[in-house]
Amino acid sequence: MSAPVKTAVLPTSTTVSRDGYLGWFSQFWGLFARELVKTFRNPWVIAITIIQPFMWLAFFGGMLSELPADQLDQFLLHAPAGTSYLSFLLPGVLSTGMMSIGMFGAMSTIQDKRFGFMKRILITPTSKATVYLSKALGSAMRGLVQIPVMVAAALAFGVRLQGTPIAWVAWILGLTFLGLGFSALFLAVTASSTDWQTPGVISNFLTMPLMFASGAMFPTAIYPTWMQDIAKVNPVGYSALLARDVLTYGQFSASDLQYLGYLAVFALVMLVLGTALASRYLKVE
Amino acid sequence: MTDAIVARGLTKVYEKKITAVDHVDMDIPAGSIFGLLGPNGAGKTTIIKMLTGLSDITEGEARVAGFDVRKDPMSVKSRVGWVAAEVILDDDLSAWENLWLQARLQRLGEWKDRAEELLRYFDLSERKKDKVGGYSTGMRKKLEIALALLHQPEVIFMDEPTIGLDANVRRMLWDLITGVNREFGVTVLLTSHYIEEADRLCDRVSIINQGKFVASGTPTELKSRVKEDFIELDTSETVTAEKLSSIPGVSQVSSEGKTWRLRVASAEEVLPNLFHALKTDGIRRINVEKPSLESVFIDITGTRIDQAGSDVQDFRKFYLNVRRARR
Repeated sequence: MSAPVKTAVLPTSTTVSRDGYLGWFSQFWGLFARELVKTFRNPWVIAITIIQPFMWLAFFGGMLSELPADQLDQFLLHAPAGTSYLSFLLPGVLSTGMMSIGMFGAMSTIQDKRFGFMKRILITPTSKATVYLSKALGSAMRGLVQIPVMVAAALAFGVRLQGTPIAWVAWILGLTFLGLGFSALFLAVTASSTDWQTPGVISNFLTMPLMFASGAMFPTAIYPTWMQDIAKVNPVGYSALLARDVLTYGQFSASDLQYLGYLAVFALVMLVLGTALASRYLKVE
Repeated sequence: MTDAIVARGLTKVYEKKITAVDHVDMDIPAGSIFGLLGPNGAGKTTIIKMLTGLSDITEGEARVAGFDVRKDPMSVKSRVGWVAAEVILDDDLSAWENLWLQARLQRLGEWKDRAEELLRYFDLSERKKDKVGGYSTGMRKKLEIALALLHQPEVIFMDEPTIGLDANVRRMLWDLITGVNREFGVTVLLTSHYIEEADRLCDRVSIINQGKFVASGTPTELKSRVKEDFIELDTSETVTAEKLSSIPGVSQVSSEGKTWRLRVASAEEVLPNLFHALKTDGIRRINVEKPSLESVFIDITGTRIDQAGSDVQDFRKFYLNVRRARR
C-alpha cells in the first residue's frame, strides 16, 4: 500500500523573534509554566504534596496533643500558656514541607534528562541557567500549594490562627524563599546526575537532621547544645520561627524581619551558587 | 552556493580515551540533503550533538548557518531544527502546548499562524488539543518535524528519522523530508543506517565507520566505486574458501560466521557455476547484492551495515524510550 498523496499547502507564514530580556523571559516563562502545568495535571503529585503534611498534623500532632496540659506547657517552654501542640506544630510542618519539595524539582530535571527532553530544551538558544532557574521556581511554587490546604486542615483541627494580612504576606514570602533555597540546593547537587535515586537519597540525608535540628517540631531550648548550634544556621528553623510568630502567637516583630532577611539571603546564595554549578555541570551527554 | 555546514578536523573524545568522532571534515551546501550513513555507534549522533552545540567539541572547528559552533552556539541554535531518533515530546502536553513551548524556547513573538499551518500540513489540526501521549508513532514523528520547522530554521538535523517506523509511515516521512527540503529550502543533515533511505533522499552521502568518514560522494558516485556484484550464501555442508575461490568469475571470498560473501564480476554469470559447484539442496540461503550503497559499505568495511553496530541493543533502547515516553 503506498502512502497517501500529500495535498496540504506548505506553511508560508513567518515568525518574529524576541531579543534581549524579553527573549530570556519568554524562555523562562515557557519552562516555568511547563513545570506548573505538569504538576497540576498530575493528581498524584498534588495529592502527596497535600497529604504528607496533613499526615504530620494528624499523626504526630495528634499524638503529642494528648499530653496533659501542664506537661505540654512545660514541654513548649516559652510558648504562651495554653498553646496547643497542633498550633505549635503547623508552622513547623509547613516549613519542613517546603524543604522536601526541592526533591521534586530535582526529579523533574532527571526525568527530562533521562527521557531526552533536556536535549530538546538545550538544542534551542536556552541557557542552562534559565533551565535551572525555571525548575527552581517551579519547584518552590509546587510547595506553596500546601499552604491553603494546611491552613484549612489546621482550622478543622480547632487551631486558632493569628496574624495580620501583612504578617501573613511576610510568612508566605519566607516560605517561598525557603522553598527556592532548597529547590536551588537540590537542583545544584543533582545537576550532573541522571540517576532516579539521587534526589531521594539526598532528601533522606538532608531532611531528617535539618527537620529535627530546626525547632520545627520541638522547641530548640530542649535540644543539646550541638543541635542548638545547627538550629542557629538552619533556615528551616528561621522559617518555623517566623511562621510561629505570625500564625500561632500573632506577634510579628522586628526579629521576624530578620528571619525573613535570613531566608532571602539563603535563597539568593543558593540560587547564585546553583546557577553557576548548573551552567557548568548540567549536561545531556 | 554557500555551505550551510562546514567542519574541519571535527573530533570527539569521551573521557580522554574513547574517540567517537575522529577528525571529520564536512562541506554541506545550503539547500541540500546530506546523509551520514553508518552502523550504530559509528559516531553519527555525536556529530549532530557537536554541530548543534549539545556536546563540546574536543578538537577541530565547525560552522553551522554561518556561525562558529564553539564561539557562538546560541546563534547556531536559533537557526537549526532537530528531529530526534527516539521521538522526544512532552507527553503531558497537547500538540499545541508543545508548539507553544517550542515558540517560547526559540523566543518567538509571532508564531501562531505558522503553527496552525504546520499542523494543517502535517494533518494534526484536528487533534491539536489532545495530549500527545495518545498519538500514534507516525503522528508523534510528524509533530517532531513540525516543532523543528516552527522557527524557520536554515538547517535541520534528523537523527535516524525513520527508525522503528513501519514501511508506510517511513515512505510518508521520506515525502515530507523531501518536501521540506525543496519547498522551504532547508538544508537537511540526516543520519541513517537504512541504505535505501540514504540512496533515495540524499544529494550527497558520507559513509562513517568507527568515527571516521570512509567514503563520501553522491549516491551514484559511491555506487560507481563498486562495479562488481556480491553473492551471500549460507550453506549446510562444509564448504571451503578454496572451493568457492575456484569457481569461475569469483574474485574474492570472505566469511562471517556461517555466511560466505563472494565478490563476483557478474552475479548472473557466476550463479550457474556456483550451483554446479555446490549441491543446490546444500544452499540454505542465497542473496545477490547489485551495486548499491550497501555494497559500497561492504566493499569498504568488509561487513554489512546492519551487522557492523550493535543493532539489537539500540532497538531495545529505542522501544524502551517510546514506552517510557508514552507513560
